[in-house]
Amino acid sequence: MRDYDAIVIGGGHAGIEASLALSREGFDTLLITQSLDAIGRMSCNPSIGGLAKGNLVREIDALGGEMGHLIDSTMIQMRILNRRRGPAVQAPRAQADKFSYSRLAKETLEKERHLSLFMDTVVDIITEDGRAAGVVTERGWRISSRTVVLTTGTFMDGRIFIGEYDAPCGRLGESAAAGLGGKLREKGFRVGRMKTGTPARVRLSSLDLGEMEVQEGDDPMEPFSFGTEALDRPSLPCYVTYTNAETHRIIRENISRSPLYGGKIVGRGPRYCPSIEDKVVRFPDRERHQIFVEPEGLGTEEMYLNGLSSSLPEDVQHSFIHSIPGLRHAEIMRPAYAVEYDYLNPLDLMPSLESKLVAGLFIAGQTNGTSGYEEAAAQGLMAGINAAQLLKGGRPLVLSRTEAYIGVLIDDLVTKGTEEPYRMFTSRAEYRLSLRHDTADQRLTPKGFAAGLATEERMERLRAKMAGIEGAKAVLRSCRIDGKSAYDALKEPETSIFMLGIEALGSYSRSILREVELDIKYSGYLMRQEREIEKAKKLDNMEIPADFDYDTVDGISSESREKFKAVRPISIGQARRISGVRVSDIAVLGVAVRSRERG
Amino acid sequence: MAHYATGEPIYALATPYSPSALAVIRASGDEAISLLAPYFSSPISPSLSGRAVHGYVHDGSGRRIDEVMAIIYSKGHGYTSEEAFEIMCHGSLPVIRAISSLLEDAGFREAERGEFTYRAFMHGRMDLTEAEAVEEIVKARTSRAGSDALSRLAGSIYREAERMKESVLDILASLEVQLDYGEDEIPEDWVFPEEEVSRIIGRLRAIAATFSSSRLYSEGALVVIAGRTNAGKSSLYNALLKENRAIVSSEEGTTRDYIEADAVIAGIPVRLFDTAGLRESEDAVEQEGIRRTESLMDKADLIVYVVDPSSDDAPPQYERVLCVISKRDVSALDAPLSFSSVTGEGLADVIDAIASRLSASASAPSDVPRIDSERQKEKLEEAAAALEEARLSSSAGYDIIALYLQSALSSLGELTGEITGEDVLDRLFSSFCLGK
Repeated sequence: MRDYDAIVIGGGHAGIEASLALSREGFDTLLITQSLDAIGRMSCNPSIGGLAKGNLVREIDALGGEMGHLIDSTMIQMRILNRRRGPAVQAPRAQADKFSYSRLAKETLEKERHLSLFMDTVVDIITEDGRAAGVVTERGWRISSRTVVLTTGTFMDGRIFIGEYDAPCGRLGESAAAGLGGKLREKGFRVGRMKTGTPARVRLSSLDLGEMEVQEGDDPMEPFSFGTEALDRPSLPCYVTYTNAETHRIIRENISRSPLYGGKIVGRGPRYCPSIEDKVVRFPDRERHQIFVEPEGLGTEEMYLNGLSSSLPEDVQHSFIHSIPGLRHAEIMRPAYAVEYDYLNPLDLMPSLESKLVAGLFIAGQTNGTSGYEEAAAQGLMAGINAAQLLKGGRPLVLSRTEAYIGVLIDDLVTKGTEEPYRMFTSRAEYRLSLRHDTADQRLTPKGFAAGLATEERMERLRAKMAGIEGAKAVLRSCRIDGKSAYDALKEPETSIFMLGIEALGSYSRSILREVELDIKYSGYLMRQEREIEKAKKLDNMEIPADFDYDTVDGISSESREKFKAVRPISIGQARRISGVRVSDIAVLGVAVRSRERG
Repeated sequence: MAHYATGEPIYALATPYSPSALAVIRASGDEAISLLAPYFSSPISPSLSGRAVHGYVHDGSGRRIDEVMAIIYSKGHGYTSEEAFEIMCHGSLPVIRAISSLLEDAGFREAERGEFTYRAFMHGRMDLTEAEAVEEIVKARTSRAGSDALSRLAGSIYREAERMKESVLDILASLEVQLDYGEDEIPEDWVFPEEEVSRIIGRLRAIAATFSSSRLYSEGALVVIAGRTNAGKSSLYNALLKENRAIVSSEEGTTRDYIEADAVIAGIPVRLFDTAGLRESEDAVEQEGIRRTESLMDKADLIVYVVDPSSDDAPPQYERVLCVISKRDVSALDAPLSFSSVTGEGLADVIDAIASRLSASASAPSDVPRIDSERQKEKLEEAAAALEEARLSSSAGYDIIALYLQSALSSLGELTGEITGEDVLDRLFSSFCLGK
């Protein structure tokens, strides 16, 4: 008899989703965290969503995850980004009250009957016959379970850097989880180092607000969760300012004091989210860089300096921050710092996020080399769902690249691995026209329901929405405008559904009408994309038997052969996406698999 | 179901099955060399790889069949990358037949079409565009077409497609940045690079257009000699072929159906047709002949229309028609392209005119790489069409423009073989008889 069905290590954004998915499906689950006060903490920026990331949040919600609810209840500003640049690439982003967010996350976990919370540090994972069987904690507990989900974020042998100062922390002031990385290395896991950073926090009342541009949110606010009807929350502004020649001079003169340039940090940082010193060094011609000043919450004066992450010494931080308009008198409450941590090579995972090395061990979140709350939560959810599938003896739920950003995220990780912290971008998705954030429920709720996580209530809501969409489309087909149906009239780029003045549409909600409009406007393009999707599916459906012996096909180059053996792709489609594999090798593999099938 | 497999010993005649000075028979498969050894007078083994060994091929009883050179390839070398050899023998048909039959006795079977190329491919010896080019080299009929196929092996299409792909990728990347970051982070708007895109479209279409002219060189131009009954068509036909392969008679309607022959006119392979005379006729057989002539004329790359100067015949006026005047010896008419198949007068001018009309339709600017596969033409046209759509959508959302740019990229990727769609594999291997 095991103590628990599942143990989730870590209470961050991945751990929250994993533990909720497992316990809501009825499995007795234990969440172990180093600090119960830090559950769902937003270590870096106080916002959720954004381009591609906003789609992830809505997909998490559609499958039955929690992130959408958490941000809907705690947002203090909301915007739809890229309204002008095309519906397929629009996405919601919200500023969060990070303290309420974290507290609500803990409350939500505490409400679950099958979920226990325990504060301790896991120092080893117990395995029996190559299967995960429990954990050992720092205070000496041995707790057994049938599955383990590992979501350690930046805490596994984390170390923070501020100029010459460094300390073993996962976040400033919170000690790292020492030892687990070493134990995993002993078990054969490929452990690497990655680096990320966060900017300073300054005090609102010390800022010269008049010297900065004001950035307001959208009104009304739109919810992330498909279950939230409407939002009535306070909306706080953000501010925009810019660095200048003086800022850049200060940074340049002190660059040698950066642990990054001094060689103390070995981990790879994200290219897309560089520190300010990186930006100054790499783009010497840029006269200024944009800085967003964002509120961290309602009950706090702390403001986040988005765009100013740094690992320079604190005295240098003070000088360069004070060279920026609006921040000349800023009181710096927390310094910027870099954090370096252990991550586990995601190539050692199956598409279900189960480890290839230890059966029953699922790994999710920043531990897999990603960055971002949304990426972490998405993996945590899938790891939780698939750990539950394993406990039930069901097939893993693997989303494809053609149906979800989550599918793109996980396929990229387990097929290509990652050299730098992985962030979701719309350009990573080949079929983004089909991955609009407003259609996440249509794409995924039935799958979440089939897996046992999404509730009947969610399905009912989806059915009602689909009926609404069909109803509105029927109205449009029956009304005539300028000699053609309103439906066809909507295909004109400049025609809006809200300008048609059709009374019968009055009973439909704005969100349904907007979705109908996009469906109609984009129907031609969607059909084109459908064809591409069909092609991709064909290759994804060409399964490679799990026991396929790559050594029997001598036409495959030795480099590609090693890669195939390392990744063990489940289909020709996945094999094709492995980086650096020669196309002719895929062709040879395809023919070999096919002729083997036909015997 | 019969499938290609690798390893099984196969052989094939690599040169045409016709009498010639030399013929080459090649074989490939596991233990190919030791299978041949008992039938070869000199000692051979894989250790002689890359060498030509002189000797006699003899049947099992020691009777010499022919004096030959055998070129030995050990595993990993040679065309298929399997153990292999090539026998250069004398090109007489009985010799070729005898060697074939002894190879059968030795345990080889005759290869199916494309099987050698298939093996080379499966052993990683070539990429898709190369495999395709090899197919075409085998099929190529003249030296000009052969050099087109060879130049693609060297990768001129590949390099050109790569360059265009880079350009499209640059454009797409500049657009994707706008989609990956919010308008507050990158406030500048993106401008559609009209000029650059038009340049690429023009280039793609120019390369695609070389397909029809390339085809003239690899498959041969279809040239039809037409005209009224008794206008002198067959005389011209014979003069062109310089041999009597059609019946020439003064009785109307002798050539009831068409007669076909292969010729090479100014380096261009030509399938030359002599046709039934066009006239009103009650005769059902002859009507059928005329109907066939007309359908042949529809397909022709060039129609050489022969006019008897003593008749009132007015030749059809369309582009593919070259009008020539016959019987210059009888009624000395000082018209251009007037000739006599009796005296040979004016014939050289007629041949020049045919050649220049054919090469006009076969010519393409010399800096444009030639293609000669339908698949490549399709991919180039797909890419051009997608870019055209992108241009037309330049006022639509960035997401739509990106969709078209991506699809142009993937067409170019499929062209170079960098992206391999299932359909590409299907099509390639259907020409290798896979799965039949």
